[in-house]
Amino acid sequence: MAKRYFEDFHVGQVIEMGPRTVSREEIIRFAEKFDPQPFHIDETAAKATMFGGLIASGWHTMSMCMRMMVDGFISESASLGSAGIDELRWLKPVRPGDSLSLTMEVTETLPSKSKPDRGTVKSSYRMRNQKGELVMTLKGTGMFSRRAGAAA
Amino acid sequence: MNAEPGRMQYFEDVEIGTGRETASRTLSKDEIIEFAREFDPQPFHLDEAAAKQSLYGGLIASGWHTASVMMRLLVDTFVGRTASIGSPGFDNLRWLKPVRPGDTIRARSVCIEKTPSKSRPDLGSVKFHTEVFNQRDEVVMSLTSIGLYLKRPAQHN
Repeated sequence: MAKRYFEDFHVGQVIEMGPRTVSREEIIRFAEKFDPQPFHIDETAAKATMFGGLIASGWHTMSMCMRMMVDGFISESASLGSAGIDELRWLKPVRPGDSLSLTMEVTETLPSKSKPDRGTVKSSYRMRNQKGELVMTLKGTGMFSRRAGAAA
Repeated sequence: MNAEPGRMQYFEDVEIGTGRETASRTLSKDEIIEFAREFDPQPFHLDEAAAKQSLYGGLIASGWHTASVMMRLLVDTFVGRTASIGSPGFDNLRWLKPVRPGDTIRARSVCIEKTPSKSRPDLGSVKFHTEVFNQRDEVVMSLTSIGLYLKRPAQHN
C-alpha cells in the first residue's frame, strides 16, 4: 500500500475530508457518556438555554473531526500519534442534522532532531457546516515515520 | 441553572491560583476499544496485538477519549455549581503519557487568568491550567482551558 510518510507532507498542501452528518441520537449518546449538560442531552431544556436547542458537545465535534482525519489520511499514513493541539476554537454550535466538512492545510514540517526516523507535521484545520459556516478551527501536530533510509 | 444562586460560583468568585480537583475514573480495555472504534480507529487504540508492535508497546486510549473522560469528570464535579456558560476552546493541549487499560485518571484545574468581557458586561473569561493525572500521579495530559462565566447578578450583591 502506498503509505504517506513524513516526506509526503509539504507546506501549503491541502486535504479535504468529509462530509459527515451528525444525528440527534449520536449527539445525545455521546453527551450522556461524556458531557451530560442540559443543552447536550435534553431537547426541551436546551430550548430554554442561550443555544435555543440541542447542540453537540465540543468534545463530540472534536472526536468526529478525529474520525474524519483518520478516514481522510491518517489510516493510510505512517502515523505515530500526536503530541497535542496548539489551539482549538469552537466557533458555532453543531446541531442535529448538520453535515460537517474538514479542510486541513499543512503549515510546517519539522524533522526530529533527536530521532532521525520521524518528523512532526503541523497543520491548520477548518471545519464547516452545510451552510459553509466555520464551526471549529484547530492547530494540530502529528508525528510521522520517515521513509526508510531517508534520514541516512 | 440548576443550583441555587447564592451558592453558585460566579466570575467574581473564581480566584487566581486556586485549584479544584475532580473525582477519579478507571478506563477499561473495552471502553478504550469502543471509543476508538467510533472515533479514532488507529491500530494502537483498537487492536492489542498490533498495539504491542507499535512504539507504545500496548493498547493506549485515544487522546480524545482521555479528553472526553476529563470533561465528564469536570461536569460531574463542577457543573451546576459554577456559572460557566460554555467554552470558546482551549490552548496547548499536550498528551504527555499514554493512558492504558486499568489506569485511573482524575483532573485538577487551577485558575491562571481572569478577563472581564469588553463587549458583554455580564460576562468574563477565565483561563484554567488543567492537568489530568493517572494513579501514579503522573501527568498524562495538560491544557489551558477557557471558560465563559457569568458575573454575579446585581440583586445578589
